[in-house]
Amino acid sequence: MSTDHNFSVVGKSLPRSDARIKAVGAAQYADDMFLPGMLHGKLLRSPVAHALIKSIDTSAAEALPGVKCVITGQDIPKIKYGNWRLVPESQDEYALAIDKVRFIGDEVAAVAAIDKDSAEEAIRLIKVEYEELPGAYSVEESLADKAPVIHDEYEQTTPNISLDRKIEYGDLDKVFAEADLVLDDVFTVHATSHAYMEPCSCLSEYDHDGRLTIWTSTQTPYFVQCLLASTMEMRENDIRVIKPFVGGGFGGKMEMRPWEFCSAFMARKLGRPVKFTLTREEELATGRRRHPMRIHSKVAFSKEGMLLGKEFNVHLDGGAYNSMGPTACFLCGNFGAMLYNYPNYRYYGAHVYTNKPPAGAMRGFGAPQALFVAETQMNVAAEKLGLDPVDIRLMNAMESGDEIPGVATISSCGFKESLIKVAEMTNWREKRKNLKPGQGLGLGCYSFISGGVFNWFNTRYNFTRAEVRAFEDGTVHLMTMASDIGQGCDTVLRQILAEELGLKVSDIRLTAADTAVTPQADLGTWGSRVTLMAGNAVRKAAQEIKEELFKMVSLKFDLNVIHDLRCGDGKIYPANRPDRAVSFGDAVKMAQRANRGEPIIGYGSYTPRNKGLVTPAFSFGAQVAECEVDKETGAVEVKFMTTAHDCGTPINPMSVEGQLEGSVHMGLGYALSEQFIMKEGKTLTTTFLDYKIPCAEDMPPGVSVHIDTYEADGPFGAKEAGEGLVSPTAPAIADAVYAATGYRCMDLPLTPQKVLASMKKV
Amino acid sequence: MSLPQFTFLAPTSLSEACALLEKHQGKIKIKAGGTDMIVRLSHRAVKPDFLMTLKKIPDLNEISYTPDKGLKIGALALLREVEISPLILEQAPMLARAAHATATVQIRNMGTVMGNVCNASPSADNIPSLVAMNAIIVASSGKKEREIPIDEFFLGPGRSALQANEIAVAIKVPKLAANSGVSYQKISARSKVDIAAVNIGALITLNEEGKCKAVRISMGAVGPTPLRASLAEEFLLNKKITDETLAEAGRLAAEDASPISDVRASREYRKLMVEVMTTRALKEAAGFASQRVVKCKSS
Amino acid sequence: MKKELITLNINGDDIEIAVHPWRTLNEVLRDQLHLTGTKLGCGTGDCGACTVLLDDQSVSSCLTLAIEAEGHKITTIEGLAPEAATENDLENLTLDPIQESFIAKGAIQCGFCTPGMIMSGKFLLDHTPNPNEAEIRAGLSGNLCRCTGYNKIVDAIADAAEKISPTK
Ligand SMILES: Cc1cc2nc3c(=O)[nH]c(=O)nc-3n(C[C@H](O)[C@H](O)[C@H](O)COP(=O)(O)OP(=O)(O)OC[C@H]3O[C@@H](n4cnc5c(N)ncnc54)[C@H](O)[C@@H]3O)c2cc1C
Ligand code: FES
Ligand code: FES
Repeated sequence: MSTDHNFSVVGKSLPRSDARIKAVGAAQYADDMFLPGMLHGKLLRSPVAHALIKSIDTSAAEALPGVKCVITGQDIPKIKYGNWRLVPESQDEYALAIDKVRFIGDEVAAVAAIDKDSAEEAIRLIKVEYEELPGAYSVEESLADKAPVIHDEYEQTTPNISLDRKIEYGDLDKVFAEADLVLDDVFTVHATSHAYMEPCSCLSEYDHDGRLTIWTSTQTPYFVQCLLASTMEMRENDIRVIKPFVGGGFGGKMEMRPWEFCSAFMARKLGRPVKFTLTREEELATGRRRHPMRIHSKVAFSKEGMLLGKEFNVHLDGGAYNSMGPTACFLCGNFGAMLYNYPNYRYYGAHVYTNKPPAGAMRGFGAPQALFVAETQMNVAAEKLGLDPVDIRLMNAMESGDEIPGVATISSCGFKESLIKVAEMTNWREKRKNLKPGQGLGLGCYSFISGGVFNWFNTRYNFTRAEVRAFEDGTVHLMTMASDIGQGCDTVLRQILAEELGLKVSDIRLTAADTAVTPQADLGTWGSRVTLMAGNAVRKAAQEIKEELFKMVSLKFDLNVIHDLRCGDGKIYPANRPDRAVSFGDAVKMAQRANRGEPIIGYGSYTPRNKGLVTPAFSFGAQVAECEVDKETGAVEVKFMTTAHDCGTPINPMSVEGQLEGSVHMGLGYALSEQFIMKEGKTLTTTFLDYKIPCAEDMPPGVSVHIDTYEADGPFGAKEAGEGLVSPTAPAIADAVYAATGYRCMDLPLTPQKVLASMKKV
Repeated sequence: MSLPQFTFLAPTSLSEACALLEKHQGKIKIKAGGTDMIVRLSHRAVKPDFLMTLKKIPDLNEISYTPDKGLKIGALALLREVEISPLILEQAPMLARAAHATATVQIRNMGTVMGNVCNASPSADNIPSLVAMNAIIVASSGKKEREIPIDEFFLGPGRSALQANEIAVAIKVPKLAANSGVSYQKISARSKVDIAAVNIGALITLNEEGKCKAVRISMGAVGPTPLRASLAEEFLLNKKITDETLAEAGRLAAEDASPISDVRASREYRKLMVEVMTTRALKEAAGFASQRVVKCKSS
Repeated sequence: MKKELITLNINGDDIEIAVHPWRTLNEVLRDQLHLTGTKLGCGTGDCGACTVLLDDQSVSSCLTLAIEAEGHKITTIEGLAPEAATENDLENLTLDPIQESFIAKGAIQCGFCTPGMIMSGKFLLDHTPNPNEAEIRAGLSGNLCRCTGYNKIVDAIADAAEKISPTK
């Protein structure tokens, strides 16, 4: 399992390749771009949560000087869209509402004007007559008898349940009857915002040749290209999506969005570029969010602490549209069965419509919710059975080769090692015994996917593809649609390529995420898929180049066929005769000559095949939170976080740490401070003053270690890093708070008020 | 969102400014640092025809101290200046603590203490300690000045006793009586940098026997204006300062509080926090006061 | 309504420009002058992405009226290493020590908070040359970052402080 690999570029903490341009403020994000003649767009959003649109009067807006275009749902093709193209019925959204609005913020009309002021003014002048309908604002309200039907399509079958998923294996009823300990709890977890710092923005231009170009803050240029094509009734090849620098996404920028459609549509209509940039208020009041869920989990143990089985019932509060809810529903079932071996398991997950802003994909994607429940119940069980929380986990922990029947098989796995390591690093057993009043120590664990296997987008291409062009000057050009949104894949893919070809990172030119020039296709940045999938494609492309170049070196030195050739230090040479080296550039020159001028280009694709239903590889880890609780105010202070995690080979350890620390930040906010406060579908927390993401002073110090594993399916042994780690933080903190106060949180977020309520103070 | 349109006025004297206020009554708003006003404009909570800055009026930013008159904080003194002013740190460190507890570095570099007071938000960080210290707001109509005791200054959320033609020019803070101590306590349990869910200012003066000779307690974010904890104040007078009396004072303070539930905290939580924070504030203030008692005796 | 002609001193240059009185400094920098290094993350003073220095004080450009910035020295991220705006060879250019530390310490992920963070770091180190960790965290508390969890940013500021004013 351990690595005796001797890498020269992989495994090095190189600064990001784009760090300098970002440090000087020269990196251009979508809103930093200006084109001659550019117009400013603005959306009109529904102020009511559920209503029929009776009429829209745009005349006053159109008459306002400076306004060039006003569109409503009546002006656009009536074509629904959604990421789940595999199940067309799940595509439930129009770019602009037609006949009905389903949440406060639903897009109703759009304006393009010569400046922002006029666009905003025009929006205020549009008169919409609504006939309000009763709304449903929670899973309970949506599933109640006579609940308002949010999408008529589902009226006959299961009103307000857009889809469900079941997994079942083993004989649970028997297990529950015979088990020594059965925990039967209902948890609720809340919605949180991605709160990426860059508000969504896009700029579209339509040229005289009939091509539409859109620069957009997206994680998934390919999705945007395909869905713009279908909704605008254009050919995919006539749409060029370019991802400029993107200021974070975390899952919130992986769909085609109404403003992208409106900017493209109006740019085509007017022949002038149109830019849309959302305000933070729009982002927080109407944007996608993490799924709130109601989770009923019943889990059985033997008295020795062996897990016998689990029944996991999840209702996802999906908001008004499916968005990425189906995937969350799918993944929740998997994560419910992860980390430990559940010999018997039954999952039922249902995606429920409510009259609220849709929930979508968000870092962790079903895992933070499922694992908050699973990990909390492990901690409860440990206490009830008189076991150490570390021991009960070690007893049940998954290992390499373990299976979730019919769903997934675990490849590399450093879970047990992670547990042992955090326990050792925190002096867990001793420290737990010697806590002072108000102090607590808690444990949470996680596992996550390295990209998805399930082709819900129904792409007809490979999942990812890379093209590498070699030059006589010893450099290469890597082209990939993989999208760096801040996580650093531009750097990591360069490192992978440099390692494979024996070059320096600075020898690599990169063109990424431009659908017109980078190879078709790549599914984008989500599900921690890029390093493993795009990384594998890059390696394969590089290997094609190597084959070409090896031929030349072999020929030049008349090498015996048994020689093993290597790339390193910008040279190509036989492994045991390094003196017979040809520089990379010279080898390219020779190969090109030999090919009579054909350039040396390598291609590589990757699509996970025969990898079960979920992912090619799982990451694992364990985390300990040390907290102090002020018993008078209920305030929780996280003092220290210790993490051990198995992400396979960290291609860039500094980047992995950055992902980890960012995850802790998001996990901390999820556990304690972030929350959408809503009233009848209206989001009240619409500024960062009220929607509280942790600031620098809130963030605890911490340490982390990588557990050394090598993932056979990943490039140079790498797998997921930095998404899964958002999961263990909330259960670890909640467990520490329990240790400090006796309050067992089953209802996130863990607020001071709940702490005090448990002590009967409020 | 863009700001609504307005005509910008930048008078260079107090009399000119007050004349403009008079002239454009009902259609004009004042800005100092603008950290409240610009946000309100952008949310279109206000839509004045005229926006008048005070920034061009000279001599409004002084921070001074004289033993007889006490502290004076000019209307344009920035939160940051108050936070680090040696004079304030020496004479009224709780005012520096309150300024420091306000907002973020950038906002403190822009916003004023007076703006925080005049904005009259129930949760304002700088109000409770000023109320506890019995500050006076000096208002000017250009022609004449009047002094408004801070207890009479707040009429409701966002509403003060200033007349339409008046500008608040300075805050006067009387010198502390001997054997007195002040405390400012804030709780905002979501983040270390946050608007207060509850905040308390307390001033205690002790007599020679360590009994409470005078006390003022101001509670923020628990009513439409800063509230005095009258029951607690009455109770404490002439009482010995013990954990029990302070706890009881806290409990009585909560009785006087009439908080609402909002996005930051629930009514129940706020009430309980009034109790906890009042007790803590009194304890700290009494601690300072008794240090002074000790100091006085030994010197 | 008529625009006013004002002169803004930005990164050492006097720039004459016509603005409406309700324009924020952020709008003028970004939309009129295309100095887009200064970001807009919220427009309500909460995130710090728009931080610039006004006479060496860090302020939120989204809450500053452009006309009120007249007569003050405005420094934006583009002014910290002014050669970066004209010199193409970023790789070999020595930037401000804070910028260099951000790069070396991995303090930059998506980079959207970075210009504001760096300006806040600059203000902090100009006034507190050798801050301890708590002071650094407090100094950055007006700047939100969703990517890094701040720890690497804190390291970067400490590293820059040591370079600018060595304690050893
Ligand atoms: C991101 C952010 C965070 C914040 N956090 C906090 C916080 O934690 N705690 C807190 O208490 N506040 C907070 N605030 C509010 C604000 O920063 C403070 O209230 C600040 O002190 C206001 O000062 P200013 O000079 O900017 O006021 P301005 O906005 O200029 O004025 C505020 C109000 O007072 C009036 N006014 C100002 N000066 C005078 C005068 N001399 N005479 C008459 N009327 C006057 C104005 O007309 C206006 O109504 C925050 C604001 C922001 C944007
Ligand atoms: S954009 Fe100015 S503080 Fe966020
Ligand atoms: S690096 Fe992305 S917000 Fe800070």
